[in-house]
Amino acid sequence: MRIGMPHMGNTYIPFKALFQRLNVDFVLSPISNRRTLSLGVRHSPEGLCIPFKLTLGNLIEATELGADTLLMPSGYGICRLGYYAMTQEQILHDLGYNNIKVIGVGFSEHKLFGLLKIIKQLSNNAPWIRIISAFRIGLTKLNALDKIERVVQKIRAVELVKGTANKLYAKAVKAIDEADDYNTLKKVETGYINQLKQIDKNPQAQPLIVGITGEFYVLLEPFSNLDVENELGKLGVEVRRRLFISGWTKFSLFLNSLGINEMAKIHKAALPYLKRDIGGDGWESVGEKVLHAKEYDGLIHLAPFTCMPEIVAQNIMPSTKENIPVLTILCDEQTTKTGMLTRLEAFVDLLERKRRARHNNRY
Amino acid sequence: MIKIGIPRALLYYQYYPMWQTFFEELGAEVVVSPPTTQTVLSEGSSRVVAETCLPTKVFLGHVLSLVKKCDYIFIPAIRSVKSKTYNCSKFLGLPDMTKAVIPESPPILDIDIDVNKGKHELYQAIYKLGRRFTWNPFRVRRASIAAWQANLNYQQLLCNHSLTPPQAIERILDTPGVEPKTHSEYPIPMQATIAIIGHPYLLYDEHINYRLIHRLKQAQNKVLTPEMLTTEELESATARLVGRAKWTCEEEVVGAGGHYLRSGADGVIGITAFGCGPDSLMMDIVQRQAQTMTTPFMSLTLDEHTAEAGIVTRLEAFLDMIYRKKRKRICV
Repeated sequence: MRIGMPHMGNTYIPFKALFQRLNVDFVLSPISNRRTLSLGVRHSPEGLCIPFKLTLGNLIEATELGADTLLMPSGYGICRLGYYAMTQEQILHDLGYNNIKVIGVGFSEHKLFGLLKIIKQLSNNAPWIRIISAFRIGLTKLNALDKIERVVQKIRAVELVKGTANKLYAKAVKAIDEADDYNTLKKVETGYINQLKQIDKNPQAQPLIVGITGEFYVLLEPFSNLDVENELGKLGVEVRRRLFISGWTKFSLFLNSLGINEMAKIHKAALPYLKRDIGGDGWESVGEKVLHAKEYDGLIHLAPFTCMPEIVAQNIMPSTKENIPVLTILCDEQTTKTGMLTRLEAFVDLLERKRRARHNNRY
Repeated sequence: MIKIGIPRALLYYQYYPMWQTFFEELGAEVVVSPPTTQTVLSEGSSRVVAETCLPTKVFLGHVLSLVKKCDYIFIPAIRSVKSKTYNCSKFLGLPDMTKAVIPESPPILDIDIDVNKGKHELYQAIYKLGRRFTWNPFRVRRASIAAWQANLNYQQLLCNHSLTPPQAIERILDTPGVEPKTHSEYPIPMQATIAIIGHPYLLYDEHINYRLIHRLKQAQNKVLTPEMLTTEELESATARLVGRAKWTCEEEVVGAGGHYLRSGADGVIGITAFGCGPDSLMMDIVQRQAQTMTTPFMSLTLDEHTAEAGIVTRLEAFLDMIYRKKRKRICV
């Protein structure tokens, strides 16, 4: 059995560590690129969103490299995602890969134990103790990656030589991927965070703060959002994102089952405008706008084209009393970098002018 | 008397008799918006972002035409009507979205229908809705029972008499509309049997689909629609194609498609709205099935830029193909 799975940001690193420790053959497909996208687009129904198309591209590339069991996130009650594993399996069969099995993994449905059970099946009944230790190192890597990313988001906006933080970040990701035990991991993590903090900063910089919210996949996969966070960093903007995969895993696998809901505050904020969960991340998008209106200078709302929950959120957002400039960027295979850059520059200009006006009023 | 406005869009075609009975039993008057026109559509689309799907735009247009004509507007948020199914986000967010984009709308009566939460929650939701009209829980109970009976009668009418929802609603209300004349008085044999699958709010809104059903009938074709099938037929066909239905409105597409592809319709036309989330997957499933069964299948995507000439051309080409195929079969 050779396992493959779609990419989403750096999530391949913890999964690679997990499966390597369990001696499962894990096929690492190329990081999402133009070919992945065009493969996905060619074989998908046209009305589907970019997460489907890109993950299908990833799965096809993994299959080409010899994977025969593919893992695909799934679940009941979250927009169209529940259907993806089944449809993608059908598409792969129609392409002539007849022995491919696509396993839908419902994170919020199976909970921690269900997930561990799936891993146990995939690893040929490895002993529980090994599964749990492998799972733990995966989680530690995930946490380390996200901690470093948080620092990078801050540094990018104020660094003197643009691109220094990114270079270090790439090195850190590689080092975390290669680290094999907790000690090295800890050392890599603190080492790179220190290095990042020592990057020369522009002393006069007063970065604008822009929140970034929207659909799960396009937020976390830089290829699908054309690396919007990096581009904002280049424009001298500090990006704030609530959603990190490590935080999400912590809550959906451990804390939610104990009755702790990290989103309760956001949902409460959204309540006057949207009374119920509409699937996907629509409720959270509205809530975050309301919650952070005072705190941020602007908000970027990322959504895949034809995403149902985000369209509802996009329609509701302008009507909130809490006013903050929102730029909605729809991501699909037609989105181009130049178009997006122009819109980002205009948006940042607008935010700067607003801040200046606010400043002048004060004195 | 309190006037309740019901927009003639989306779930109107499935549940109107039920809603009407419920509100009238509680002593309210029901106002339905007039049929869709170009003004309704363009006013509706002017309120929302462009990516919103056509039926939602039509719905908002109908809400706009009800402004100032009623005291409340009834917009339910239907999450599921069967266990373990889920509905499109646009249905769930409909009351809130309407409030956000049409601030001048009358107060919105919303109700959460979710059978996954259990019977108790459902009854509570119905009672909460009825309490706006009467304090008496037994009166609400009586109204809901009458409403449910009306719904069952309506479905019976659709299924047994092969009526389309607008025809059935007309028959219930006893206001026969002017039925467009087909040539059925002449004993000309039917050319072909065409099945149309899709959501009722696309199939029976004659403005947005350019009277597709009427056109097919006029060309001497027998038209089959999802409402003509019984629940059992729909369920078994869905089970054959995808296992268990995951969407609230899945059976009218996958179930009907699966059934008609097998029961020997000469051709199947699938109608979707541009940007429809669930349909993008469900129509794909039916299309794949049609390909393996070599039944002609045409997918028509509707949006506000759809033109009459385009639809007619495609329809003619599709029908010609089916007729030719049939003739060939007869000759051989």
